Amino acid sequence: MEIVESSHLEATVLALIGRLDGHSSPGATERIDAVLARGPARLVLDLSGLEYVSSAGLRVFLMAAKNAQTAGGSVVFAGLSPAIREVFALSGFLDVLSVQPTVAEAAVQP
Amino acid sequence: MSDSPTPPPDSALTLVEEMVLLALDDATGDLRPMPVMALEYSLASALLADLALAGRLDSDPQQLVVLSREPTGDSLLDDALATVAASPEPLPVAHWLRVLAGDSRALEKAARDRLVTRGILREEKRKLLWVFGVRRYPAADDRERVEVRTRLSALILGEDLPDPRDAILISLLKASHLVPHLFPEAAIQAREARIATLARMDLVGREVSSAVEAIVTLISSSALSLRV
Repeated sequence: MEIVESSHLEATVLALIGRLDGHSSPGATERIDAVLARGPARLVLDLSGLEYVSSAGLRVFLMAAKNAQTAGGSVVFAGLSPAIREVFALSGFLDVLSVQPTVAEAAVQP
Repeated sequence: MSDSPTPPPDSALTLVEEMVLLALDDATGDLRPMPVMALEYSLASALLADLALAGRLDSDPQQLVVLSREPTGDSLLDDALATVAASPEPLPVAHWLRVLAGDSRALEKAARDRLVTRGILREEKRKLLWVFGVRRYPAADDRERVEVRTRLSALILGEDLPDPRDAILISLLKASHLVPHLFPEAAIQAREARIATLARMDLVGREVSSAVEAIVTLISSSALSLRV
């Protein structure tokens, strides 16, 4: 999995490209934790290049959102493909996580 | 299954142990009423979830895959890991739940023994009808059970995101129909949607729920056909 970091307005954007599974999850967690460790922040996870997410990958998303919530920041998920959106819906993630169509919308979400 | 009831030193409770603890009635130490096979499937699921959280297994709706065969140091988990790892190809979660549920009596016994070793339960032996020996497991130290119920109650009543482990536990408790035995009725009614959302956050938990409900439906329809 490739992870590309950029900025959009006040938000830090991590674009996750490829497969997020049990093998790539530890690396993704490390990158997300590094952003959250800089202080309360708005983190946008750009999933437009995400091809696959397993149960381990979903746990990475849940922990990222929970850790950000605890630290007074937020994580917003953007660019979900129909397949990834279906996984989010099945897991109830659409009900509890912040999801926006695009990175631009995620970066300015109140 | 390995005959080693001793938990690794200074280890936290596994999901298997936590499920057995919550499945026992606080006062009597007997198992609470649950649908047929619910405890079996839930314990099998708890094993898979413990292994997933330990980074040994991963899953999607099609298959359960082994990430690492490295032993965890917990004999109950390592036996299950060896069973799954022996398969020549990845198979669906539902398959492994059926396989591991077949060994759940031994698993439940091992988990009870560990809870006794940890000083959380005590074992009482008595005779039923002066002949049959039965064992009950009342609490020796109820702090662990109170702590987990308090934590899960706060999660159900609040809006905080769950950590993955608590989401799995709620999923297993709901699938086993144990939620009404553990939390106040008013809270359950008021937070039904929240409980349902938390319960479907984990794939293995959803698989257990499907398996248990299929059995409940099958038994209900069989009972109805017998009445007709």
